[in-house]
Amino acid sequence: MQGFKSIRNLPEQDYFTGGSSACAGCGPSLGLKLALKVLGPETIIVNASGCMTLLPLYPNTPLKSSWIHNAIENASSTAAGARHGLDMLGNEDMNVVVYAGDGATYDIGFASLSAAATKNERIIYICYNNQSFGNTGFQWSTATPYGSETKTTPRGKNNPIGTTVVNKNMLKIMGAHRVYAATASLAYPVDFLNKLNRAKERDGFSYIELLGSCTAGWNYDPRMTIRISKLAVRCGMWPLYEIENGVLTLSKDFSELKRIDEFLKLQGRYRALPQDGVDRLQVLVNEHWGELKEYNGHRYV
Amino acid sequence: MKQTLVTGNEAAAWGARLVRPNYIPTFPITPQTECIETLARWVSDGELPGTYFDRIESEHSVMSAAVGAAAVGARVFTATSSQGLLLMHEVLYIAAGMRLPIVMATISRGLSAPVTLWSDHNDFLDQRDSGWLMFHAENNQEVLDMMLQAYRIAEDPRVLLPAMVNMDGYVLSFTDEPITIPSTEMVEEFLPKYIPKHTITKDRPVTVGPPVLDEYTIFRAQNHVAARNALEVMEEVMDDFHRIFGRRYHLVDEFMLDDAELVLVTQGSMSTTAKAAIMEMREGEGIKVGLLRLRVIRPWPAKAIAAALKNVKAVAVIDRNLAPGRGGIMLPEIVETLYNLDKRPLVSSFVVGLGGNPQTEHKVKEITRKLIDDLETGRPRVEWNDLDRNYMEGL
Repeated sequence: MQGFKSIRNLPEQDYFTGGSSACAGCGPSLGLKLALKVLGPETIIVNASGCMTLLPLYPNTPLKSSWIHNAIENASSTAAGARHGLDMLGNEDMNVVVYAGDGATYDIGFASLSAAATKNERIIYICYNNQSFGNTGFQWSTATPYGSETKTTPRGKNNPIGTTVVNKNMLKIMGAHRVYAATASLAYPVDFLNKLNRAKERDGFSYIELLGSCTAGWNYDPRMTIRISKLAVRCGMWPLYEIENGVLTLSKDFSELKRIDEFLKLQGRYRALPQDGVDRLQVLVNEHWGELKEYNGHRYV
Repeated sequence: MKQTLVTGNEAAAWGARLVRPNYIPTFPITPQTECIETLARWVSDGELPGTYFDRIESEHSVMSAAVGAAAVGARVFTATSSQGLLLMHEVLYIAAGMRLPIVMATISRGLSAPVTLWSDHNDFLDQRDSGWLMFHAENNQEVLDMMLQAYRIAEDPRVLLPAMVNMDGYVLSFTDEPITIPSTEMVEEFLPKYIPKHTITKDRPVTVGPPVLDEYTIFRAQNHVAARNALEVMEEVMDDFHRIFGRRYHLVDEFMLDDAELVLVTQGSMSTTAKAAIMEMREGEGIKVGLLRLRVIRPWPAKAIAAALKNVKAVAVIDRNLAPGRGGIMLPEIVETLYNLDKRPLVSSFVVGLGGNPQTEHKVKEITRKLIDDLETGRPRVEWNDLDRNYMEGL
């Protein structure tokens, strides 16, 4: 398939229309709006409990595609069931797409995700990663970066860092499942939708992780959603890459990364991170970027 | 139609095979394994065309996958036991709330801790408020017959609720009994192809499982009404089952109740043993004792139970389960059902058979004698029939 060259080529038709209850500047909503441009109305979005669960609110929905919300930990297995149900009833051409947050992906739904990926079920899994349990008010998940403050890792006298645990390397884990795994950013919609098209073509499981910036939890000005998403890529906090058949390819390569400071200072969650915490986070980012650069074009997992 | 020897697990598998499900998600757990192994074998041998047999990583995901498949209009079967059934618990409510007519065989086994592999009914009864239709079979023929009935009732547009068919682990699941396996033609006459009423299709986007605000109570009430509707549907379905297959079932199983003064209320396979003991007591000792077996647990067939017990003197509710700090689970259900009768029988409670503790004819006779004592003294009892009274008092 010919990929999109520019944002001007993206389909004009929207299947995510007005009337959503999401916050102004909500990253994950924008992600779904973009995704549906490629996926179209003959799609079942299987949602795991989270912010996006509130998009359809009986009796209204902003979506023109089908939607199943089951619970938080079982989107992958629900999607697998829907996939096989459709296939057995002759509806092989409908898309089954999970749209789930990082808490539902990295944590409580991980077993379900790992099994569906191992079995190479014909599902596209999009994780909108807002680096927290966002819908419950921004608590720590295993996707929360080192140094981020959350409601369950508040900074205090005994814990100036906030989140002291280093987040799970999910993409490497998913890459090791021998599926198509990629990161994506709202600031690079052409890259995101080309990856989604790549996933649609595959006869098997695909995992796309979108940095789903959260204005409320990350505590930033809603106008800055795209700016923050772009900075995250430019400073190496959210590198864009894909893993297919174990081989890593950087989607956006930079000879030099920006320092993380500008990215951090736009967000309340990092505001009071002491300098030693910032330095440690910079080291972690540099290490990860170095690893990606080293394996770019090579077998990674 | 053929006569053959099968275990309870195989009877459930035959039930699944005959209804031609589109999707069977599975996870193994003792004592259910043989049921899904049988189906896996048939699928591998090409005997179940049109069925996708899926191996899933947990029971929670099994029920989730069942929900996904049923939401797009597939006919779904699965089976589980014990801890597996408890792991599904969250999704059982969701399946019922979404009005998805999934059918599941449950093979009862006591719950941990401590671990037991043997049967009691706590796992099954733990699901009693989930919104599922709940049937409990006495023998392997009934397992198969109930499976066929369960699909017909669950898929009825007046009902649209999931259903579980329970059998006792080991006693039925691993015991060969002679049963009649009906022909495909008979089953096709009884159970037409499933045409889902509300489902996701290519041309019609549907939202399944959204949040609601003020309408929550309305949806819950609809669940309740659907479950109550099921009682009427069940009677129709059992009549039709009798017409096609020649075997007669009712909402409750009444045994020698016509002139009974004493009644044992039972569930599951222990009923067969109790029936044998009752025949001996009637013949040998002239005791006017009968039995009422609960075969439909949800919806609760209150009228049928009250009608069967309204003229008796004393009732022993035999619970093969325990709600710690409360007692037998079915006791309060029976007492509530009888409370508004003009003349209430005395009701005694017996907790028996936990973790497979065998229920012998001797024990059934012992319970009957205690019930006669209670009737004489006018004092009902709450008793653990498998434990020495002194031991319980010493605890």
